Amino acid sequence: MTCFAIQTNRLRKVYQGELGQKDYVGLEGLDLEIPAGEVFAFLGPNGAGKTTTIKVLMRLLRPSSGSVMINGVSNTQHQSMERVGYLSEQPNIYGYLTAREFLDFIGKLFGLAPSVRRKRIDGLIGLVGLKDRDRTLIRGFSRGMTQRLGMAQALMNEPDILILDEPLSNLDPVGRKDMRDIILSLKAQKKTLFFSSHILHDAEIVADRVGILDHGRLVQTGTMQELMGSGLKTIEIIYSIPEAGESVLGLSRERIVRQGDRTLTWTENMESAQEILGKLLKNGGKVFSVTPQRQSLEDLFISRIRG
Amino acid sequence: MKWPAIASLTYKETIRNRILINILLFAVALIALSLIIGDWSLGEQAKVIKDFGLSAMSLFGLLIALFIGIRLMVQELEQRTIYLVASKPVRRWEILFGKFAGLSLTLLLNVILMLLALWAVDWIIEKRIDFELAAAVVLIYVEILLIVAFALFFSSLMSPTLAAVATLAVFIAGHLSPILRDYVQLHPGSGLKKLYLAIYYIIPNLENLNLKMAVVEHLERPPHAVGMGILYGLLYLSFVLTATCMIFEKKDLK
Repeated sequence: MTCFAIQTNRLRKVYQGELGQKDYVGLEGLDLEIPAGEVFAFLGPNGAGKTTTIKVLMRLLRPSSGSVMINGVSNTQHQSMERVGYLSEQPNIYGYLTAREFLDFIGKLFGLAPSVRRKRIDGLIGLVGLKDRDRTLIRGFSRGMTQRLGMAQALMNEPDILILDEPLSNLDPVGRKDMRDIILSLKAQKKTLFFSSHILHDAEIVADRVGILDHGRLVQTGTMQELMGSGLKTIEIIYSIPEAGESVLGLSRERIVRQGDRTLTWTENMESAQEILGKLLKNGGKVFSVTPQRQSLEDLFISRIRG
Repeated sequence: MKWPAIASLTYKETIRNRILINILLFAVALIALSLIIGDWSLGEQAKVIKDFGLSAMSLFGLLIALFIGIRLMVQELEQRTIYLVASKPVRRWEILFGKFAGLSLTLLLNVILMLLALWAVDWIIEKRIDFELAAAVVLIYVEILLIVAFALFFSSLMSPTLAAVATLAVFIAGHLSPILRDYVQLHPGSGLKKLYLAIYYIIPNLENLNLKMAVVEHLERPPHAVGMGILYGLLYLSFVLTATCMIFEKKDLK
């Protein structure tokens, strides 16, 4: 039997409604199989159940039914978390501690020896760029600094699996790039990464496989290649041609957009693009650009969510 | 064992808590003030000071248990810092027990400081230290721990305000519960005898932890009163903490 890094089996989570309110189904029959070393992006609109899934994986929420296995160990056992690092969405960290004190505390929770803790803290503080602020109280940290410290604590146990809830949100462009670089270096180290994101572009860059969640149900899952196929949507051609030659191209009016002396047209396949280009050149036309338009993850996401 | 790390963190957190420092300063000031109040009594100055000082310790212990005990877990949940701890390879009971142990340590320090203040005042009046006071203070400390345990229990079930009311109710009822037992003994034919006894046994008898009068008045104490009080308090405490751990074990950390 294959042992997955993360595996969920018919996971269901129902939130009990407050007095007079209906119960709310947060997750419905979620089956996930994430092999070791894979980077899996978990996408979905607000309220789709991404954070609920992550909290169930991390033992913060108890599932109503179904099970979670981490490296083949049920997550009902606290030991299953020994090789897991977790970063919550907009982490809140004890403001009365310094970054060093906080990471030391996290190290203790993993049962690390003092010498190991010291060494790892030095490395992590440098990795997340908090060297100048490691001895000041966290209370004075910006949101971005807190997020980076959150990432450092997620790496304190040198985990095999990282579960990150919106790791790239709430960061300025530089912070986002730094965080993305950390994620890419973890990918290079063959760590298993499971992360949720609203930023589809980041998912597209980082993920090997994507899952799209909507109303608590997994509506699509697959590798980037499976989801996008060849990914070719249209080929856009920008050209100019003497008025007399326009009719020779045989293009329908709906596919012609004029801007000054330039014209934009498009076609769905390479053969007809080549045919248009041939006619253009033959009739004294000029070609300014030929741009293949590929389906983005965003297109796929929107088509799945809107049905 | 991860709870000592959580206890150490909680100790750090609570020792820096402004409410705690204020309450402690106020308590020490009040014990010092007992010098003046004792001065008004006729020849009973030392007794009044000791009685006043021990009552102040008990009262301020209750206030700390209410203000900090209830916020202890609620704050972790509201600020979502609990995610940092509960997502680690730590058992839920270790989180709760660590929090309790950390606050207990802070409270121990407070009680010691208040006792030292009381001894200092006593030294000024009697030119000696009444070590008997320590017996009453030990039980006051056990009582405070028990109230903290109840504060944690109620705060895991209801809103902080309701939890404070419920904890206060336990404190008051706990000191009045022997009346129920005495009533049943005096009126054995009472139709509600079983109900009264059930309430008496459910609510802790906090008078078992009250040696203030005996110590101040130098009355004869029941044999092993301190030992039995500690045993009674700790047994009750472990029961309440176990129940709280069971609730916390199943709790969704939203």
